[in-house]
Amino acid sequence: MNDADRRTKLMQLAAGTVFLAIVVVVALIVVNSSSSDSAGEPTSEAGREIAGELRGIPQTGMLLGDPAAPVELVEFGDLQCPVCKGFAEEILPPIIENQVKNGEVKIDFRNFTIIGPQSVDAGAAALAAGEQGRGWNFVELFYENQGAENSGYADAAFLEAVAKSAGVENLAKWNEDRKLLRPQVEETTEEARQLGFTGTPSFAVKGSSTQGLEPIGTPSSTEAIEEAIEAAG
Amino acid sequence: MSYPSEDSLRRGIAFVAALGVGVATYIAIAESGGGSPVCLAGGTGCRTVAESSYSHVAGVNIAIFGAIGYLMLLATAFFANDAARFGGFVVSLGGFGYSVFLTYIEIFKIEAICQWCVGSAVLMTILFLLNATRLVAYGGAELQEAR
Repeated sequence: MNDADRRTKLMQLAAGTVFLAIVVVVALIVVNSSSSDSAGEPTSEAGREIAGELRGIPQTGMLLGDPAAPVELVEFGDLQCPVCKGFAEEILPPIIENQVKNGEVKIDFRNFTIIGPQSVDAGAAALAAGEQGRGWNFVELFYENQGAENSGYADAAFLEAVAKSAGVENLAKWNEDRKLLRPQVEETTEEARQLGFTGTPSFAVKGSSTQGLEPIGTPSSTEAIEEAIEAAG
Repeated sequence: MSYPSEDSLRRGIAFVAALGVGVATYIAIAESGGGSPVCLAGGTGCRTVAESSYSHVAGVNIAIFGAIGYLMLLATAFFANDAARFGGFVVSLGGFGYSVFLTYIEIFKIEAICQWCVGSAVLMTILFLLNATRLVAYGGAELQEAR
C-alpha cells in the first residue's frame, strides 16, 4: 500500500470514528436528560410501614420523642444527602427503638441544606409535614425514595407524593406552610454553620451535662452516638 | 495549508498530556483521600460533583480513567508512526467526547461546576485539536518521520 492509499484509509477510519463518537455523546446526553434520576416512588404502603415504626412516639414539629426527655439529639441533615439516608436507615433506628421510645432521648431534625436548591424545597416540605405531626414520616419516606443529588427529582410533584404517603392529611395547608417555612430552613442552616459544621449529617447533643447544644460532628456508628448521649445525660 | 512540524505537535501533546496526568491524578487522590463519610459543603462545586453519581463508572472514579487516558496520550507522543497518530486521535476523541458529556452533566444535571473538571476538559480539547491536526497533516506518512 502506498502512502496515498494508506492516508485515504486512515482518513476514512478517522471520519468513521468521529461519526461514532458524535453518536455516542449525543446518545449519552439524550439518555441522561430523559431518564430521571433513580428516585423511587413514595407509596402509601411504604408510608404505612414507616408509620408502624414510628407508632407511639410523640412528634412535635420536627422533634421526635417525649418533649420532656432529658437528652436532646439534634441532627443537622440535608434530605438530598445520601450519607444522611444511610444514617436514617442504619445508625439511628436502634437509638429510636431503644432510647427515644422509652422517653430517654428526643431527636430534633434540623435542615442544613448544602447540596442544592431542591434541598431547601425538600427541607421546607418536611417542616410543613411536621406542622401536621408527620415530619419524621416525611423525612424517612423521603430518604427511602431519595434520588441522585440535584438530579431534579425533588420537584413539587415528588414532594407532594411523599407528603401524601407520609400521612399528611391537609395537603392545602401543607402546601401553604412549606412556602412560609422556608426561612426556617435557612435559619437552621445558618445555625449549623455557627456550630462549625461543614457537612451533613452533623449532630449535636443537649443534656444536663452539656452547656447548651454541644456539637459532636458526624459519629461513625450507633455506639458513638450512644456514648455522646450518655455523656450528655 | 501549512501545519506545524510533527515534532512540535508531539512536544505539545506530551506537554499537555503530562499536565492532564497531573490534574486527573490530583482529582483522584483528592476524592479518595477526603474520605470522611459526610456530604460536604464548600465554596466550589467540586464536592457536589465528586459526590454525585456521575463521578464513578462501574465503581471506579472517572478521574482514574482520565489519568489512564492522559498517560496513553503521553505515550503516543513518543512515537512517530501511524499507530501512534491514529491511537492518539482516537483516545483524545474519546476523552474530548466524554468531557463534552460531563460538562453537560455538570451544568444541567448536577448544577455545579468543578474547576478541576473544567480544567481537564480544556486540556482534553487541546489534546484533541493537536492530535487531529497531527493525524490530518501527517497520517499515512509512515516513511517520512523526520518531516
